[in-house]
Amino acid sequence: MSEVLLRLDAVGKRFPPTFRASQRLGALWQILRSGTSGSGTVVLDDISFEVRRGESVAVIGANGAGKSTLLKVITGVLAPSGGKLQQQGSRAALLELGAGFDPEYSGMENLRMNATFLGLSQRQVDERLDDILSFADIGQSIHEPVKHYSSGMVVRLGFAVVASVRPDLLITDEVLAVGDESFQKKCIRWIEQYLDQGGTLLMVSHNMYQVQKLCRQALWLEQGQARQYGDVFDVTQAYLAWHERQDARDAASGSGHAHPELYGVSALSLARTGSADGGEPRLAMGEELVIELKLRSPDGRAPVALVGLVRADGTPVYGVASDHDGIEPAVADGLFVFRLRFPELALLPGGYVVRGHAMDPEGLRVHDTAEVTFTVTGRSRELGLVRLAHRWETP
Amino acid sequence: MALRQTRPARRRLLPIDRKGSGPNLRRELFTQLVLRDIRSRFVGSASGWVWLFLTPLLLLAVYGLVFGVIFSARVPAGLEVPFIAWLAVALWPWLAFSEGTVRGAQAIRQHANLISKVSLPRHLLVASSTSAVFVLHLLGYALVLFVLWAVMGVPLQAGGILSLLFALASLYLFALGLGLGLGALQVYLRDLEQFVPTFFLFWFFMTPILYPADMLPAFMSRWMAINPMSNWMELIRSALLEGQMLPGLIDALVMLASAAAALVIGGWLFMRLAPYFEDFL
Repeated sequence: MSEVLLRLDAVGKRFPPTFRASQRLGALWQILRSGTSGSGTVVLDDISFEVRRGESVAVIGANGAGKSTLLKVITGVLAPSGGKLQQQGSRAALLELGAGFDPEYSGMENLRMNATFLGLSQRQVDERLDDILSFADIGQSIHEPVKHYSSGMVVRLGFAVVASVRPDLLITDEVLAVGDESFQKKCIRWIEQYLDQGGTLLMVSHNMYQVQKLCRQALWLEQGQARQYGDVFDVTQAYLAWHERQDARDAASGSGHAHPELYGVSALSLARTGSADGGEPRLAMGEELVIELKLRSPDGRAPVALVGLVRADGTPVYGVASDHDGIEPAVADGLFVFRLRFPELALLPGGYVVRGHAMDPEGLRVHDTAEVTFTVTGRSRELGLVRLAHRWETP
Repeated sequence: MALRQTRPARRRLLPIDRKGSGPNLRRELFTQLVLRDIRSRFVGSASGWVWLFLTPLLLLAVYGLVFGVIFSARVPAGLEVPFIAWLAVALWPWLAFSEGTVRGAQAIRQHANLISKVSLPRHLLVASSTSAVFVLHLLGYALVLFVLWAVMGVPLQAGGILSLLFALASLYLFALGLGLGLGALQVYLRDLEQFVPTFFLFWFFMTPILYPADMLPAFMSRWMAINPMSNWMELIRSALLEGQMLPGLIDALVMLASAAAALVIGGWLFMRLAPYFEDFL
């Protein structure tokens, strides 16, 4: 195993209340007396993970989950309120677009100052000046004051300086989103090269494509707590699925169903799916999905079963009804039992919902609906919802 | 600044550096911060560095006019120097001290943006602000002393150079300690920001700079005994005007003790409070 560059052990961060002067005074007294700041709003709670040389870790999570605070604690801008933080080797951080830039000074002066913050001597800056300038690629603007720069130029210069430092551990906080397409690609190429040469990366990003491309591990923060840490594909898929469900929940309205007391869904279940943590069902991409639907009927006539697969955000993927295929249900305990089997489920990894609907025997109206969510896991960068049968050919 | 020439046959990517933030880097950072602070006074002004020389001379002229001509102030008996020389000798060290302390104390709030985005040794921000002020004012001091000696013919005593250097060095450390302590407290107690400059104005008038110490009424002489700045001012004057070779024992002890106390207490406050600055800025 390679050496550990960064280790967090139950790290927590609370922001003390600072609004009123008396609160500030209290906090001052507390820090002077005990060396730690006291109670306050919890922003990070019990975060533990480690980053080894050569690893690449993404921190993902919704806005306000504590990602930036975590990076600030790691870089030493913020002191943790609890827990232990150990690190070794050099590190460089780009916490914000143009962090440490003084708008009054020219790009060149800021470049030198920023390089000094990152631990370069003036001699080293001189040596690398051409590299930095050609990477930033902002031409003669380098002699203009930074206040006249566009945000894209600022991030170009900032990243170019960090890139020239080539630290053991590189930390970036959602900064690449600002540059234009070609600069983003340049940065990503640089990061890939840096990782290939044994560099270590810790980044915050909302761009899951970037995350999956650059990182092998991911940490999912939710309200200051580590919800999941592990393989980047597992974590990002779970995270995206969670997001889609949030969206769907927001969008969901009380869509009334006609007469659920007439034809109704008594049970909807997925057979033979593993669930990792006792939570929702999971199955690997390409595995078999078996859906069992039990419907009730007020008049003894067999209702029509309609089964739909939708992505967690509500995008329909596929739907089929029993009367399309001319299926008659089995009857057990007064219920009509349908079983639908997808032998090789072609859904791409992500969060999905199975909807089972009870329709009248004529197949005209939906009377009742039940839903079960499940997650398809797998390592795939394919885009869209399903894997279509395909073949690459060399003409 | 011209672009550097490209060196031949250099790889696009340099090897990964393995280095910590050693004392060399801290010195480098400190130097850069001081230079930037000094440059920031002149950046954007039309004649730039000319002000570095013009400001002290104009100030000298103003004080000469107000006190030498309008108030017709006199130096203490037994000294054969014009009042303006007597005043200037003590005034510039005071300016360096008070402005250095106040600026040092403001450094943290002033660099709030930097502190919340970049990880760097924060005491360097205070130290560089204080140091930049001392550099500028001591350059001005040297210029003023030169003008007094060369143009006005004031007999400044070169023999007092050791005493002067001792006084200035200990004064710098005193200002540094006060700046660290006040700067750290100021993050938590915003009121200090208003109070500190006012206090220094008060301190200025309570220190024998514009007037000799023996002009004070008796009931105030006890204050003089506990105001270490009066030791500094008197030593600097006797060094330059009377050629006192070495500081007296009491003076030396008072100055060293003041500087040490300020550094220890200010340094402790700063170390204790610095990790939490970002929470309160």
